[in-house]
Amino acid sequence: MRRPWIALVAMCSAASCRPPQLGDPLRGLSAAERAEFDTGLAIFDSTFTPQVGLGPLFNASGCGECHEDPVTGANGDEVEHHAAVFDPERTGAMCDLLADQGGPVFQDSVTPALHAALGIDREPRPPVATVVAERSTPDIFGFGLLDAVPDSVILSYADPNDTNHDGISGRPNRFFDGRLGRFGRKALVPALREFNDGAFQIEIGITNPSVPEEGTVGGDSLPAGTDPASEPEIGARALVLTDAYVRLLAPPAPLKQSGEARRGSDIFARVGCTGCHVPTLRTGDNPIPALSHKEVAAYTDLLLHDMGPDLADICFGLATPSEFRTEPLMGLRHATQFLHDGRAKTPEQAVELHGGEGARARDLFKTLPAADRAALLAFLKTL
Amino acid sequence: MRRVTLLSLGSLLIPFAVAAQQVAPTAPHDSVRGAIRAVDTSARTLEVTAGVGFAIRVVRLQVPPAVPITDRKGTQGAPINLAELKPGDVIRVSFGSRPTGFVAYTIERIGSMEAGVP
Repeated sequence: MRRPWIALVAMCSAASCRPPQLGDPLRGLSAAERAEFDTGLAIFDSTFTPQVGLGPLFNASGCGECHEDPVTGANGDEVEHHAAVFDPERTGAMCDLLADQGGPVFQDSVTPALHAALGIDREPRPPVATVVAERSTPDIFGFGLLDAVPDSVILSYADPNDTNHDGISGRPNRFFDGRLGRFGRKALVPALREFNDGAFQIEIGITNPSVPEEGTVGGDSLPAGTDPASEPEIGARALVLTDAYVRLLAPPAPLKQSGEARRGSDIFARVGCTGCHVPTLRTGDNPIPALSHKEVAAYTDLLLHDMGPDLADICFGLATPSEFRTEPLMGLRHATQFLHDGRAKTPEQAVELHGGEGARARDLFKTLPAADRAALLAFLKTL
Repeated sequence: MRRVTLLSLGSLLIPFAVAAQQVAPTAPHDSVRGAIRAVDTSARTLEVTAGVGFAIRVVRLQVPPAVPITDRKGTQGAPINLAELKPGDVIRVSFGSRPTGFVAYTIERIGSMEAGVP
């Protein structure tokens, strides 16, 4: 009876059986997948210069400049700005993401050449924007698993008319082509690959085969001579590899729960947090075995929920100003700021700032005995 | 002599040039699938929002009267008018580039942002 255990221990070298560390790839990758992950990490961590395509408008000189703390792929302290026009009277088009003025992301940096040409230090916010929102940098761990969750699983949690009368009415956002959205703080983007490809151009100003044209300055073309690199500034292979890195990043392994944290997990469910922060989602068929039919302890339903007027900022696709996608809580213990704009400095503050559909759970949290509140927070610190 | 040579050369090349004009597409083709942002029935123009991730763009299209516009409902796609298209409808458009801008060749309504695309 003892021999199988000995064999198992021998097979479990320190490297293969230790819990995944932050920034590690998923377990069970093939050698080829692991090689793509490693090469993709190098691209993700690259610093671009204007000579190789940076800008002329940009928020960062590389992916790793923002997704950096404490390791590549994690959170960052950078905050960027999004703008939109919300007009509830315009049926079918109440949310204008300023696509004719360069889209909703207004870059906060410019290259020296663009500064010299236009005298600007950032892309001007359009006067027509009804609100300018701040967006903090989230971690991207486990996003490949979120991408692999079938639409049907997400839609199974939707209850737009609150037919079960629990006060929670999650509804899907959709991209402009009608596909179900799931990425971004308002769940606009349907697929991780598209989010990544778009981010190269929007965040770094790096054109690529998916987004081959440079951005504009508030809808106006770039002045001649301000973009020395020819388009596209990176090729298809670089997109594939960067996507592989992001896709194959493992979610942070939850910590072993103490008795207090286990009790906190029960309280988390009892006060109604799990109405939106669904503990686990299951992936579907996927060509990558490490992503196929896996449970991911994401603590999200990837749906939009009304969070009340105090958190409201911009609209985004179908999302109204007060609707946000349930933020995944996996990796929460590594975060240093919370909510979509980082306004909360602790998980407790974040809970207390919940409104709208989260108000009931928030109020129950606030009335908990101190020991129960501490237990719930202890649980959150295991995620 | 020189003129004869040029004429001869011209007579050799003209048939090929005419043939090339006949087989070449009138304009480069492209397609877009996105949500209608605006419809102007009097100017016969459409604005379609599309994009990749947060890299969002607007495609402005002229819609000549002869352009077939269909609704995917039904197996054949029922013909509809430009005026029946509305903001939020998801359409698939094939179009070409002309000196005056993009011109639609075909338009198919395939769903809506609110309800999705079946």
